[in-house]
Amino acid sequence: MAIGYYFFALIGIFACVTNAEATGTDQPMFTFGGFGSLGVSHSSMRLGDYTLDSTIPKGAGLSEDWSTGNDSRIAGHLAAQFTPKVSAVLQVVSEYNAGNSYQPEVEWANVKYAFTPDAYIRVGRIALPTFLDSDNRDVGYSYVWIHPPIELYRQLAIAHSDGVDAMYRVDIGEVGNTIKAIIYGENTIERATSKSISKDMWGIFDTIEYGPTTTHVGYQKRLSASENLQTGVTGAWVRNSDLSVGVNYDPGNWFAMSEWIQRKSTTNITAMYVSGGYRVKKFTPYLTYSQNSPGSFLPGFPPPSSGGIRLANRSQSTVSLGVRWDFMKNTDLKLQYDQVKLSNNSNGFLANVPANVSLYGAKFHVISAVVDFVF
Amino acid sequence: MKPLEIIRNCLILSLLLAMSMVTASAHADVVVIVSAKSSITLLTAAQTTRIFLGKVDSFPDDSDAFPIDQAEGSAIRDEFYSKVVHKSSSQLAAYWAKVIFTGDGRPPEMLESDMAVRKTVAKNPNAIGYIDKSAVDKSVRVILAP
Repeated sequence: MAIGYYFFALIGIFACVTNAEATGTDQPMFTFGGFGSLGVSHSSMRLGDYTLDSTIPKGAGLSEDWSTGNDSRIAGHLAAQFTPKVSAVLQVVSEYNAGNSYQPEVEWANVKYAFTPDAYIRVGRIALPTFLDSDNRDVGYSYVWIHPPIELYRQLAIAHSDGVDAMYRVDIGEVGNTIKAIIYGENTIERATSKSISKDMWGIFDTIEYGPTTTHVGYQKRLSASENLQTGVTGAWVRNSDLSVGVNYDPGNWFAMSEWIQRKSTTNITAMYVSGGYRVKKFTPYLTYSQNSPGSFLPGFPPPSSGGIRLANRSQSTVSLGVRWDFMKNTDLKLQYDQVKLSNNSNGFLANVPANVSLYGAKFHVISAVVDFVF
Repeated sequence: MKPLEIIRNCLILSLLLAMSMVTASAHADVVVIVSAKSSITLLTAAQTTRIFLGKVDSFPDDSDAFPIDQAEGSAIRDEFYSKVVHKSSSQLAAYWAKVIFTGDGRPPEMLESDMAVRKTVAKNPNAIGYIDKSAVDKSVRVILAP
């Protein structure tokens, strides 16, 4: 939370400096908003927990019959426009995490300096635009699914970084091109028994918009290591790289989108999904297929441990069928059915599977319901 | 029911239907306007869309663009976004949720009526708004009639 205090201090300084200066428009200096989701899920697989990522300690299946852990959160977002060029955001999210609690965390806390409306630099805690929906993945109201496809979005090892980024937007005729660059970043993720540390992060992300078509290409690199919380020992630093390509076509009444990513560390993993939906008044039924490959070990590293092989083998595919219903202003209700198929030599991304149990090749069903809102 | 009553009911029904269509078409004539002092004479739906979604801050001639929305839930706003931007009110809300909560921008400023929009647009050569065709006068120029 330390970054939060620095952030408030910065806001205080800017507020004092810019107090007398008019912002140039009638919009208020501070705007507060927020978003949230309340979701439940149930899994037919009773020998493991269906969790969206590795920071969630338990979920539906083995530990709970119905779980609220995957898709429930609430967040507050404070934006400040000090001058036409200087602004700041603070976003605090409370969701189920490694501490087995809903302890709020600072997801965003940065100060932006806009040289022009089409170029800025930001300092602080910044969400990474690794995938099409990675910086808004907490805002359920902003997309059609219950949550972004698990096989691909689980590969988003890091959601935000502490550092510096920059944006430059240029228009060529009716084509809008936005380039974002992570100039430097670092990050720490706490899990139940270990800590993942990343440093020396940089990346470049290009988003091209032409009419109803959006394409996104991203590449980022960082050094990562894992610290064992019991022994305090930090493992070797490994170079990671993430490459992603995505496209979204949304002419109005229907949409189709797809993403493909490649993640390299000690292993090479690819993942993809395709998704489409059709809007009928306030209802949007959708269908998604997503899958990830197992990790193949790259040369130049010591032979992997059996635990390392088990983690690398994790591979699964999901067919999801769901519907989003915009039943009232700024609020939606979504229902989703997932059929998950685990690969023939892994328990997929199921968590807490007992050591003597093998679910290789198993197929199971998950049903989820969520209400998303923004305020 | 007697045949005469059926015919009468049919007539009443079709009259009601015709009236409802007239009211509907009264809202169906949204036009996009700039100040009469502006140098902009024509804009495509795609260019207008990009200005109202905050994807550009300027007109095609590089002068600053200052979009003005109408009240949420108003018929004229729904008409504009469905005809020009091809988004329903909930799609638009989902779009702004993404933009606001990623810190990438804010929705346009909002005014409450055709009159208020026309008045503000007329005064500011950089402003762009949308109003009902019937509210257009000499102070503003129609640059898109979708």
